[in-house]
Amino acid sequence: MTVLRAAIGAEWIKLWTIRTVWWSLVAALVLMAAGAGQYALYAENGDLDPGLFRDGLVPAGSIAVLALSFAQLAFVALAMLAMTGEYSTGTSRATLTWIPSRFRLLLAKSAVVAAVIFVGGTVAGVVGGVVAFPVLGDLGDAGGIVPTALKIGAYLALLGVVAVGLGAALRGPVLTLVVLLMLVVVVPPLLQVPDIAVLTAIADGLPGVAGNHFLLGDTDPYAPGLGLVIVAAWAVAAFAVGYRELNRRDA
Amino acid sequence: MLITLEQLTKRFGATLAVDRLDLEVRPGRVTGFLGPNGAGKSTTLRMILGLDRPTSGRALLDGRPYSAYEWPLRKVGALLEAKAAHPGRTGRDHLRAMARSNGIAPGRVDEVLEMAGLGGAARKRSGTYSLGMGQRLGIAGALLGDPPVLILDEPVNGLDPDGVRWIRGLTRDLAAEGRTVLVSSHLLSEMQVTADHLIVIGHGRLLADAPLDRILAGHASLEDAYYTLTDGSALR
Repeated sequence: MTVLRAAIGAEWIKLWTIRTVWWSLVAALVLMAAGAGQYALYAENGDLDPGLFRDGLVPAGSIAVLALSFAQLAFVALAMLAMTGEYSTGTSRATLTWIPSRFRLLLAKSAVVAAVIFVGGTVAGVVGGVVAFPVLGDLGDAGGIVPTALKIGAYLALLGVVAVGLGAALRGPVLTLVVLLMLVVVVPPLLQVPDIAVLTAIADGLPGVAGNHFLLGDTDPYAPGLGLVIVAAWAVAAFAVGYRELNRRDA
Repeated sequence: MLITLEQLTKRFGATLAVDRLDLEVRPGRVTGFLGPNGAGKSTTLRMILGLDRPTSGRALLDGRPYSAYEWPLRKVGALLEAKAAHPGRTGRDHLRAMARSNGIAPGRVDEVLEMAGLGGAARKRSGTYSLGMGQRLGIAGALLGDPPVLILDEPVNGLDPDGVRWIRGLTRDLAAEGRTVLVSSHLLSEMQVTADHLIVIGHGRLLADAPLDRILAGHASLEDAYYTLTDGSALR
């Protein structure tokens, strides 16, 4: 346990002593605020998916979830860079001489990234709801802002672990970001738009879509809790692949 | 602490980078590690540190692989590349994280920064460092855990004459304190004044493992002895 605590402590110092993390968090909050404002205006103009209404009102937290489609990219970038930065700056060898156990290193990095993103994501979720509520006017419901924000934090923390694991497996920041964007942003609409059952079902198994179901409390195609389980399964799988590659390949 | 290589072998595809190295590096003396570019020196050092996985054979530190040590930085201090720190992080923060990772007292960071003569630069981002300053940061890192074993890959690379003298004195002192000091270098004249014992490899194979004076015997300089041993392959 002491060795794991030390590894987590070291990764914690590393994360906060480069500027990328600050910029990513600022970018995430700006994207969230801007996105929430924009979606709240859509709602005000009556251009919002009717499925989002609850008892005739729009939960401000749901607007934060919509805005997350932009903001989550900043969190994903933060998580991914925490791992791929080791390779792009050549520090991976030094890091592995400090912490030779690949498992411990990946666990420490994932834990630190997940913790920071959980807090940052929850704050972003609150910011999104708080920005959306006044814009929504009479349509708005502020009740669920905090619970939704906590769910956003949990979803993003798991997505961060997916990014760290993929970063460990793929090493290059560009390749890793492309794969993550495909997985979360590009592929889901390609599968959903044709409205073919099989393709939609595949999309529902992807982390971004599953996360969205979880965050919006959808009961279709599966219970919202299962959405979170699916994201968690992606995190575990990415961690396993990242660990295997770290172990198999020379540093 | 003893470094032991047992039939250590590394193959990259069709190339045999390290070929059944069998040797021991002993404490209390400076062991120079020589060989032409591509002879397998860096690969060997990386295998000792658990960074590259041997194709076969083993590299051990007092009978255990590097990765078996809970706090490896307290056993082995290594300088592998001049710039192993993230360019956006200050030298001091780099060492703080490093100390934290191995349960080393944070106060030790300023001690080694002082020893390495990094001074005020420690609070600047390491991307702004000259090659020599990067090297000094790397050596500060190697000393951080006060380890019984030091592995220094081209430590004088990029250092000014003062720095070269400092390294020479430091390696001698560390060995005199009873530590195991393994230094790889291309600078034969430097090795001639620093090393007590030499290991020479070429094409991944052991060419010599003997005290400096025995290798020098009958030759005008270490350079002459080296070319005889490596058959001039450094020039090719």
